[in-house]
Amino acid sequence: MTAEIRITAEPIDNQRCKFMVSEPVLAGGVRRFAAADEAKGSPLAEAIFAIPGLAVSELIVSGNIVTVVKQSAAPWQAVGKAVGAAIRSTLGAGGQAVAPARKPATGEASALTDDALYEQVARLFDEQVNPMVARHGGRVELIDVQDAVVMLRMGGGCQGCGMADVTLRQGIEGMLAQAVPAVRGIVDITDHTSGANPYFQASKK
Amino acid sequence: MPRLLLLLPTTTYRTAAFVEAARQIDAELTVASERPSTLEPANPAGFLTLDFHNPERAADDVHVFARKHPIQGVVGVDDDTAIVAAAVAERLKLKGNPLHAAVAGRDKHQQRERLAEAGVPIPRFARHMLAEDPAEVAKTIHYPCVLKPLRLSASRGVIRADNPQGFIRAYGQLKGILAEPDAAACGEPAWQFLVEEFIPGYEVALEGLVVNRRLHVLAVFDKPDPLDGPFFEETIYVTPSSVPAGLQTAIADCAERAVRALGISEGPIHAELRYNERGPWLIELAARPIGGRCSAVLRFGGREQGAGSSVSLEEIILRHALDMPIPSLQRERQAAGVMMIPIPGAGKLKEVRGVAEAKAVALVEDVQITAHPGEHLVPFPYGSRYPGFIFARGETAAVVEAALRDAHRRLMFVLESS
Repeated sequence: MTAEIRITAEPIDNQRCKFMVSEPVLAGGVRRFAAADEAKGSPLAEAIFAIPGLAVSELIVSGNIVTVVKQSAAPWQAVGKAVGAAIRSTLGAGGQAVAPARKPATGEASALTDDALYEQVARLFDEQVNPMVARHGGRVELIDVQDAVVMLRMGGGCQGCGMADVTLRQGIEGMLAQAVPAVRGIVDITDHTSGANPYFQASKK
Repeated sequence: MPRLLLLLPTTTYRTAAFVEAARQIDAELTVASERPSTLEPANPAGFLTLDFHNPERAADDVHVFARKHPIQGVVGVDDDTAIVAAAVAERLKLKGNPLHAAVAGRDKHQQRERLAEAGVPIPRFARHMLAEDPAEVAKTIHYPCVLKPLRLSASRGVIRADNPQGFIRAYGQLKGILAEPDAAACGEPAWQFLVEEFIPGYEVALEGLVVNRRLHVLAVFDKPDPLDGPFFEETIYVTPSSVPAGLQTAIADCAERAVRALGISEGPIHAELRYNERGPWLIELAARPIGGRCSAVLRFGGREQGAGSSVSLEEIILRHALDMPIPSLQRERQAAGVMMIPIPGAGKLKEVRGVAEAKAVALVEDVQITAHPGEHLVPFPYGSRYPGFIFARGETAAVVEAALRDAHRRLMFVLESS
């Protein structure tokens, strides 16, 4: 079974990399881990946090995408295989790779904060971001907000677009910083390699 | 925090690498492209739309923009934007190349004239108009020769001819390419072409950074696959080069003479040279960094050189433009290589199989498929867009090259014939 799992790594930058897995890792939800102690009970997260020298600071699992944020300066080309091996071995072992997110009790501070942030970010996306990117046939979907980190997915003309990083970093990030300053970061969990209709397409050497 | 103006065509592969490098050095970034971002109204300081075909007008626009958002550095990432960057640098008195030097780096005919005047070894060349009778031109040429468009990139339209019949055939192909809308948009340069003596020999690529008119060699890449035509599709680049040290010095000297002859004073250069029993020959030199995603194989500094974390080529380029300290210009000790995956044929891409298997090859660090499903792949000489890149790193250039070839054998591109 292990040999059949296909994983494609797509570095976002030197700190963050998305791993697209050929089978669902966490169906129907998103789970974010900000520290190794949060990984207990989720074998995949435990395995990735335990990779020597990687210094994982954040892990986000959504559907068939695993996004890893590391502190190590080593390039993803050098350390990505260890993450791939951890994903393969965990999924290959069977059982639940990632435990579903615990529903915070009503009134719990972080839940309230994330819920409130979700509403604000969703409104920003609906009212400002999406009408703008729609002019290029794109859309940006808010997946979740966890610990004030926004997880989003790009679609349509934005998926696989050669300028997607510019849209994200120069556009959406700045808009979020202004409109929802409590947001601490953004993680793009888009599978850009599957974009079938990117608005701008790289073609030059 | 310094503000950097990054000139990014919407067709570049370089966006992520340069945007990330700007984040690494904490620069405020303004991204200028030839087409507007739909998010420009939300971040007027972060976006700019410029006419890359009109460097003077672009410089005027930047001058106006900079009154409100002062700019401390400007970087172009490809052939066209290198010229715009030079025009902006001259206008705003920023670090950069003189405009005439950047233009000479872009225009293949002007470049050869300057290099020939300076005595830099280059192939014999002549410029011809497309309107000339190819049968007549064919009679005047020494064979084998190479036909080249004046402006296109990535060896698109570069065709070898071994005799008059081959020349006429190549002329027909080139004429068709230069009539395509993107090529024709170049204007006058698309009505002309170069005919150049074919130089037999081994080809290398040299990556460098010019600082105050002095060339610093960052890497010399071997190109182990012979580039003898009829088309000149690049495949593998590996570094360090296996060329003997003395010859590498001669190659670097040749490139430095070309840099001086063209008047390049600051910033990245990418040069292609050949050598044979008569020594090194300069084939092309551009005032821009290596293209595609190939720069990912280059890392500089790092703990092995006592310089902390390693840095990317893009970070070095941005630091240089902003007068920030550069930790190291010394490439890492390990050998590294990249394969520009050959275009597998003509047709609509349905899927790519074997990516996981290719990535699993020892020493292979990444396989990036940049063609998207449904994309029409166009082989050389008409096309030039590689469908992806394979990266590997190891102890020697030989094992890196073997890993790249092994990984490539495992890939299968499934096309719908067009």
